[in-house]
Amino acid sequence: MDFLRPTTLDEALALKAERPGAVPIAGGTDVMVELNFDHRRPEALLDLTGVAELAEWSTSDGQVRLGAGVPYTRVITELGDVLPGLAMASRTVGSPQIRNRGTVGGNLGAASPAGDTHPVLLATGARVEVASVRGGRTIAAEAFYTGVKRNALEPDELITAVHLPPASGAEQFAKVGTRNAMVIAVCSFAVVLRPGYAGVALGSAAPVPRRAAEAERFLVAELPWQTPVPLADSLKRAFAELVAGAADPIDDVRGSAAYRRHALGVLARRALTWAWDDYRNNGGERQCA
Amino acid sequence: MTRTVDGEHLVGQPIDRIDGPAKTTGGARFSAEHAYPGLTHAALVPATVSRGRITAIDTAAAAAVPGVITVLTHGNAPKLNPPKRPTPANLSTLVSGTQVNYLNTDEVHWDGQPVAVVVAETSHAAREAAALVHVSYERLPAVVDFAAEEPNAVAQKGNPVMPGSAKKGDADAALAVAPVTVDARYTTPQHHHNALEPHATTAVWQGDELTVHDSTQSITWLRKHLALRFGVPEAKVRVLAPFVGGGFGGKGFAWPGTIIAVLAARATGRPVRLLLTREDVHRAVGARTPSAQRVALGADTGGRLTALVHTSVTRTSRVGGQPEQVTAPAQHLYDATNIRTAQSQTTLDWMPNTSMRAPGDAIGSFALESAIDELAGELGIDPVELRMRNEPERNPIDGKRFSHRMLREAYALGARRFGWENRSPEPRSTRDGRWLVGMGVATAYHPAMQFTANVTVRLAADGTVTVRCGFQEMGMGNATVQAQIAADALGVPFEAVRVEYGDSALPASVMAGGSMQTSTVAGSVLAACGKLTRRLSTLARRTGMQGRTPTEILTAARVPFIDAAVGSDTRLGALAGQARMLAKVVRDQRTWAKAACGAHFCEVRVDADTGEVRVSRWTAAFDVGRVINRKTAFSQLRGGIVMGIGMALFEEALVDRRTGRIMNPSLSGYHVPVHADVPPIDIACLDEPDPTMPLGILGVGEVGITGVAAAIANAIHHATGSRIRDLPITPDKLVT
Ligand SMILES: Cc1cc2nc3c(=O)[nH]c(=O)nc-3n(C[C@H](O)[C@H](O)[C@H](O)COP(=O)(O)OP(=O)(O)OC[C@H]3O[C@@H](n4cnc5c(N)ncnc54)[C@H](O)[C@@H]3O)c2cc1C
Repeated sequence: MDFLRPTTLDEALALKAERPGAVPIAGGTDVMVELNFDHRRPEALLDLTGVAELAEWSTSDGQVRLGAGVPYTRVITELGDVLPGLAMASRTVGSPQIRNRGTVGGNLGAASPAGDTHPVLLATGARVEVASVRGGRTIAAEAFYTGVKRNALEPDELITAVHLPPASGAEQFAKVGTRNAMVIAVCSFAVVLRPGYAGVALGSAAPVPRRAAEAERFLVAELPWQTPVPLADSLKRAFAELVAGAADPIDDVRGSAAYRRHALGVLARRALTWAWDDYRNNGGERQCA
Repeated sequence: MTRTVDGEHLVGQPIDRIDGPAKTTGGARFSAEHAYPGLTHAALVPATVSRGRITAIDTAAAAAVPGVITVLTHGNAPKLNPPKRPTPANLSTLVSGTQVNYLNTDEVHWDGQPVAVVVAETSHAAREAAALVHVSYERLPAVVDFAAEEPNAVAQKGNPVMPGSAKKGDADAALAVAPVTVDARYTTPQHHHNALEPHATTAVWQGDELTVHDSTQSITWLRKHLALRFGVPEAKVRVLAPFVGGGFGGKGFAWPGTIIAVLAARATGRPVRLLLTREDVHRAVGARTPSAQRVALGADTGGRLTALVHTSVTRTSRVGGQPEQVTAPAQHLYDATNIRTAQSQTTLDWMPNTSMRAPGDAIGSFALESAIDELAGELGIDPVELRMRNEPERNPIDGKRFSHRMLREAYALGARRFGWENRSPEPRSTRDGRWLVGMGVATAYHPAMQFTANVTVRLAADGTVTVRCGFQEMGMGNATVQAQIAADALGVPFEAVRVEYGDSALPASVMAGGSMQTSTVAGSVLAACGKLTRRLSTLARRTGMQGRTPTEILTAARVPFIDAAVGSDTRLGALAGQARMLAKVVRDQRTWAKAACGAHFCEVRVDADTGEVRVSRWTAAFDVGRVINRKTAFSQLRGGIVMGIGMALFEEALVDRRTGRIMNPSLSGYHVPVHADVPPIDIACLDEPDPTMPLGILGVGEVGITGVAAAIANAIHHATGSRIRDLPITPDKLVT
């Protein structure tokens, strides 16, 4: 197995074009597990940690451009105010060691239905920026996840960044796990509220992370946008049902399908309550579940 | 007896562990870290059927991997003597984890049984090649589903130490007429020890001399076992295990990895290192049996127990495994007028079960201590009060005297520290936002035993003391506490004592198990030190040096050192020693009921809607006899509680009931507690010596885990009103 160590993005893209079988490695927290368990034996690893462009973030045109190689620890400490939803999700990833290494780009590359950032990326309407020697393009998050652990990348493409709007209303992320840390989500949920906009997405509850479009339409239509009053229980319940209905969960070692549906409903009700309270109080940040 | 030169007692002090610096600086070498010239690496090939015969093994692809030296199967492996049938008359026969003669048979007895081993120049080549070995089987019908097999369980045979059943009065008749009853079924799944260090062996043959570095809890017996299996005299076998990275019972016996590493070294003529993968640890090392239990309690309206029935079904294997004393707590804890306990077992095509921290008691106490809490609810009596109303004066099942029992005092101390009086009696009555808050309590109980160990102690004229004993150190702190004990006994500073352990070349000791190592070794160390003190006073008298330091006396007497030995390692000496030990254990058992005990108090918070559980507070008050080292003893107790939290909330081997395969043989699938799951744990010990044990020690290794799962289940019931009787208590069980 070759270990390729580009130092610039151009070099990385050239290598990827030349050797589409080379597997990119950023934090390595997914890749190394796969190698250790011999689930994967790539002809080459393409180490992206030497590419400085990928480890930066910036703001322009009212969007945050988050480099694919920025680790969770930095998302939390540097972008907690700007991207509160993503920071909440980042805080629940693994352990300090995993958060020091793991990246949003890697979460996207792995495209696990249980990846913690996906519901937030979907709910905020993020776009994934990818590049190859042929040029660049951006892909809407909901078009990015194409199957269980599959994504929309072409063999010669790399993820370079994620574009997200800074929070202008309220963002919430919630996750249920079987223990208190170091845990893959049994199910996860994100909701984003901006004036006239609602983003709702769920994770670990279907073959791919997915938006709950009906639930979004419901919020846009039914939330008391003009009169910032606490939400009626009936509205929360109806919302929770739509979210649970959007799931297509399975029974597995982490939880039953029935439990996932139930818990998603709970997370939906709760996260919506928090988000709405933040929204009507002009968006203070809150602890996630 | 306990005194040092400066008048301070070392026994009781929280002295830092002797091996701490070696471990924290990376200086400690564990069994897979010994370098030998020409070292090779081995990897196991697990069977993929639960029962059958191997019809063919294709090793061509594996042998072709660069770096592979050989692939051993039953077709070409050296012949081994089969393990002896286990008998309590010869304790060392128990050490064979299974009855399978690995790589000497075409029979497969469980999914995961190693059927081949690859030896290669690197561990990577070995693992790669192991994955390429192709085995064909003739499958035979296999019985792998514990739940389905439960009705076919047969009564366990008992022995003097562990009766299969016990009886006082007519518990079933009393139950039928009791005004208040609880009758419930509880289940616990298969648990794995998951010590931090996976099992590892480095084996080296020089001619017919064998040196084995093995992560074992049982140096002496392993040596005997290897001598038998490989047909060499015991004197030619040396087992070394100065550092073992945790065991919890999982390293008590000889599992396939150890035997196969030694076999591979013999076949290749080169040193072999075999470090099990985490998957191997789950599939090729015995685990804790699953259990199904019934506890039925009858009481009068004042809460006096009139009937106590506790029965259990556990699992053993067609190729080994042991009964477990699941119902033992029911014989000791409550002064019920009528008691019946009965243990039965199923026999499956499964990896034999083995001891895991407080075998029997850990899972049995879950059922019994849950049921007592249920009864308290039925009666409307505080669960601590109910226990106190039924606290016996004598051992309930047979009226034997307790050598010492301070459970009342432990409850009083624990309740005070925890603030038990603030608990509202009603379940589901305390809420903090979305969290339902509950408090639970349960009794911890673990029998205490003392075996015998051979020890030599040398006192030198330079003032140093050397204690030599082949005990094992898995992180408990045994070398540290024996140094404290010897220093006090001889009146020398702690630093003057050197303890040699973890080597079969040293005087033979017991295995580290049954919470008996500290008391057993202490008994011999004290006896040897007593001999030395007497020799020393004779010398002092002779030289007119009474009242002077050992160095002054020995110097005046022109004696460079004096030695004292307890026990003998000759063949006859060993046989006599074993006979003496068995006689003592049986005599002790006849005379006394001895145990460490304690009271667990915990607070849990349960998310009312998702069923997530957080343990938020813990106090445990123990009666473990005399505490030799507050730091290491408290760590053992705390560690037991952490393990119990895992048992209560997370740990479960998920088994495919069709194939008999474990579906989660890894730490990402089999969850143990992480730091965020563990609250601050407040430990208190009464520190009252047991009069019948050396220094009054009752043992601390296992009592900590007993009762923990029940305390949590009881707290969850108090928080939510839901009684969960099937471990682990996962969120889904709390929302449906
Ligand atoms: C102990 C442990 C705990 C974990 N806990 C969690 C958790 O709680 N929540 C969670 O969501 N995940 C968890 N994970 C998984 C993992 O940490 C995350 O998915 C993380 O985001 C991966 O990032 P990485 O940089 O380490 O990715 P890597 O392992 O380097 O890569 C992951 C995948 O993405 C591809 N890739 C990486 N960068 C690029 C790029 N720029 N362009 C194209 N492809 C790319 C790789 O080829 C690979 O397929 C855990 C992992 C471990 C080992």
